[in-house]
Amino acid sequence: MPKLTIDGKEIEVAPGTNLIEAARALDIEVPHYCYHPGLSVAGQCRLCMVDIEKAPRPTIACNTVATDGMVVWTQTERVLETRKSIMEFHLINHPLDCPVCDQAGECWLQIYYMKHGLYDPRMVDEKVHKPKAVPLGPHVILDAERCILCSRCVRFCDEVTATGELGIFDRGDRSEIGLFPGRELDNKYSGNVVDICPVGALTDRDFRFQVRVWYLDAAKSICPGCARGCNIEVHVNRRRPHHAQGRRVARLKPRFNAAVNKWWICDDGRYGFGFVDDGSRLRSPLQREGGQQLPVAWDEAIAGVAGALTAHPPAETGVIASPKMANEDLFALRRVLDRRGVTQVGFAVRPRVPGDEDKLLIRADKNPNTRGAELIGLGGDTAAILAAARARRIRCLWIFGHDLLDAGWPEAETRAALGAVETLIWSGTNANATSALARWVLPSAAWVERDGTFTNFEGRVQRFRAAVDQLGEALPDWEILGRVLTALGEPTLAARAEHWFRELGRSVPAFAGMTYQSIGDTGQMVGATREAARA
Amino acid sequence: MTGERTLTRNFHRPDAHTLAAYRGTGGYTAWEKAQTMEPAAITEEVKKSNLRGLGGAGFPTGMKWSFIPKNHTGPVYLVINADEGEPGTFKDRYLLERDPHALIEGMLIAARAIRSAVGFVYIRGEYVEPWRRFSAAAREATDAGYLGRGFDVVVHRGAGAYICGEETGLISSLEGRKGWPKLKPPFPAIKGAFGAPTIVNNVETICHLPHIINRGAGWFASLGTKTQGGTRMYSVSGRVKRPGVYEASVAITLRQVIYDLAEGVTGNGRLKAVVPGGSSAAILRADEIDVTMDVDGLKNAGTMAGSAGVIVMDETVSIPEALMVVARFYAHESCGQCTPCRESTGWIYKITERIVEGRGRKEDLDTVLDVARRGAGTTICAFYDGAVGPYISYIEKFRDEFEALIPK
Amino acid sequence: MSLTAPLAFPPEQLAEVHRLQALYPDRRAALLPVLHMAQDAFGYISLEVEEYVAGLFDMTPAHVHEVVTFYTMFFQRPKGRHVVAICHNLSCHLAGAPRILTHLKERLGVEVGETTDDGRVTLLSVECLCACEHAPMMQVDDRYEFDLTPARVDRILEGLR
Repeated sequence: MPKLTIDGKEIEVAPGTNLIEAARALDIEVPHYCYHPGLSVAGQCRLCMVDIEKAPRPTIACNTVATDGMVVWTQTERVLETRKSIMEFHLINHPLDCPVCDQAGECWLQIYYMKHGLYDPRMVDEKVHKPKAVPLGPHVILDAERCILCSRCVRFCDEVTATGELGIFDRGDRSEIGLFPGRELDNKYSGNVVDICPVGALTDRDFRFQVRVWYLDAAKSICPGCARGCNIEVHVNRRRPHHAQGRRVARLKPRFNAAVNKWWICDDGRYGFGFVDDGSRLRSPLQREGGQQLPVAWDEAIAGVAGALTAHPPAETGVIASPKMANEDLFALRRVLDRRGVTQVGFAVRPRVPGDEDKLLIRADKNPNTRGAELIGLGGDTAAILAAARARRIRCLWIFGHDLLDAGWPEAETRAALGAVETLIWSGTNANATSALARWVLPSAAWVERDGTFTNFEGRVQRFRAAVDQLGEALPDWEILGRVLTALGEPTLAARAEHWFRELGRSVPAFAGMTYQSIGDTGQMVGATREAARA
Repeated sequence: MTGERTLTRNFHRPDAHTLAAYRGTGGYTAWEKAQTMEPAAITEEVKKSNLRGLGGAGFPTGMKWSFIPKNHTGPVYLVINADEGEPGTFKDRYLLERDPHALIEGMLIAARAIRSAVGFVYIRGEYVEPWRRFSAAAREATDAGYLGRGFDVVVHRGAGAYICGEETGLISSLEGRKGWPKLKPPFPAIKGAFGAPTIVNNVETICHLPHIINRGAGWFASLGTKTQGGTRMYSVSGRVKRPGVYEASVAITLRQVIYDLAEGVTGNGRLKAVVPGGSSAAILRADEIDVTMDVDGLKNAGTMAGSAGVIVMDETVSIPEALMVVARFYAHESCGQCTPCRESTGWIYKITERIVEGRGRKEDLDTVLDVARRGAGTTICAFYDGAVGPYISYIEKFRDEFEALIPK
Repeated sequence: MSLTAPLAFPPEQLAEVHRLQALYPDRRAALLPVLHMAQDAFGYISLEVEEYVAGLFDMTPAHVHEVVTFYTMFFQRPKGRHVVAICHNLSCHLAGAPRILTHLKERLGVEVGETTDDGRVTLLSVECLCACEHAPMMQVDDRYEFDLTPARVDRILEGLR
């Protein structure tokens, strides 16, 4: 392992580590544009210059591998002077239109100009003009004048997705990022080019001009879009609610996790949060009276649901849980089922259209917590439950989240099953065709409105955190289930998701010894703790 | 005074490009001899000859070869840089058209030294006639059994981009990409064309090899200076009586090139300035021409031998206008990869154009000088440093002329 | 080229493409030679040609477009039957290239980058062609024309049909 000195501090790094990463390990930032740890080294932006002892002039850090005994300086006078020069070169043809640029506030030209530039502009000639506001595809829009030609987006499409849609055309100061005329940037990961674009060249069609980034708050979260469990940040607009048509969730951004998604997320996940602020969200419990579902108070709904679970013998009760529910919810449900002795429970519902999958991130299983539901022991035969309902052996059916009428089963059979049960209870975030048939509808908080954990397909348990308040009267499923449990005569002290998770760890061996602290920001594998090994 | 001519000795013969003529004047005898030599002995001979690269960089040829990893087992490629493009240079065109077999024989010798089985000759796209001539010679050499028996030559045409004369830009282009120079390290001798160790040599450099093998390193070294052996071909153009390509010792002075080889200055007959090594070389004033033309001689004079393209300007030439023309070239040919070069070559052209058109600003000259100095040495390849040479030297040495054009 | 048939090389040229691809350790290296062939065969490198060539190399059209737009010898629009490219670099400039260019523009009635109405000549002004000893000079199709004077330019243009 090479040991080197950077700015007088010694550090040992893995063989092959470049000087940007070696410095980063010491909390020393070497400014850069084209370098990205997830892409090949391009060395084009020339900003990451550092001084290496015995080298005649500053050298780019991105293409320099740390070697034993190397002595590196990142703050020498000539390095600072070189950075300043490179900043001026970057801005020669860059439009100075920050006030109308949506990147403002998270633009690395702005940030580095303040840190490393601060020269007096000398460019008085006409700048090079290039195309502006060019939609590249469903999600991304290009302003070629703002592009600093770092080639990160080109390398992303070449190296990560291997779709090769983008190129740098022409040469010299006429060089321009673009698509082959007539083609689209429509690969399944296209939104990532916006994240890695250090400037305002590539922006997000969904997000741009909705809200200024300095009004956003962020929460660490997990994408609920598939079994991968990509780590994300949820960016929410709490401070300017009148912007963005009242949409609280402004955007999702990937959050680095070396073991899961690295720097990336797919477009389906990135843009899949629309349901959170959709008009179909359920804001209060509903009770069917005759042909109509009418709002009722939570106490009334809890009493009604608990009453139905009590009135129907366990043999006549069935539950279809959801692999979109958090571990905490599923464990609370487990406790409710155990309390009543209900055994007819499942969660797997075959989708109408099989999910797509690829070798990068996307999993065919579009549920974030299938593994958790299995481990918590809810993996029964859902088709059998529906068959039993049709045969009127199940009289009380509680469905979580699913729209069974939009699933891979014959709709008529499902409709017959749902029509045959006496008490249909439905829990979830957004109304659908199945919820419309329910006697009791219990509004669930969306994943961005609450804390919890998902277990991804590899068995990694990962936390997500509340980013916004719960909508209306919606509650986390674990809380609804806790109230039902109390009404069934088994009062629970669990007042937070974390309490349920602790109980889960005590009851289900795979989770033994895990806490929110031990999971941390990057997750923990099930069965990984000493307690789990003993259990 | 100009001494012996070797590279150009057959140029006067109308059939010089044919195998028969080449063989008739001793062609391919060096290859016969080289085949009896160990590869390392060939490299050693070339090292001792003090042959230095004649494409522009002036790097010692034998040393370059010795960078090929000794224990390498896979393919090694010999790539000939025939992408002549340095403004003011036209020597390789002559060699390709008039003595293509000299290049082939030189390639055979170099390939033996570096253990290469395939050579690529990258000829600039506009050189159609040189390409035809060389291709025909390669066919002759194949039919005669020189090529195709352990060493093959692939002739490759460029498509119009000066940057492909930069050795790693050339490799990128040869690989079917834009001619973007590659990051170093790795250097081509370690990882070059198609990921294999590669030696890129200029046409003229390679054409010297048969003579070095035949007549010995000592003979070649004695033709030049202490640090550079041999003769080289001077391309002389601009305001001279006899523009053309001249072979002479690298120890000749610039004054001799202008006044003896090219027979003096035209225009008003009085020398104002001269570019000694292609447009990327810093310009010299009339009082700076008593300097030898070898790599170190011109380096010590603050300029470079480059490709030995000598462009002569008499007193009637406008230096600001000349800089504008040169700046236009660098703006047009910047490959666009590195930010400093991409963004400032265009800007500096705009400034020079403005000055020539009488719209200069008093701070313009210092801006150009400062921007050029700041950008020098910051890029992947030497292209920008080549642009900086004229930017700085034209303004520093002829500042009055620029200032005279700038409105008070 | 008919409007209905998809653009493609005839079999013997396709065989040449494959021969060229096999010449190199990586077949992509044949891209420039094949683009030269395509320009000869189809007149210029249209987007359709780029897509066709991309298919021959299993490349994306964007990557072919990068190459085509990088090099000056690939025409992205139809060109004249002849291309006249005058050198405007330093030695030619010193030898009066601007005057020759003006003469060319007048004689042809076009600006640089344009093609005469009859499709006969496309006029270009280019960087150093490395024949500075014969400045001012120009390239006419495959030929270099040296030591230009207005009269000589006229004779050369007359020869272009």
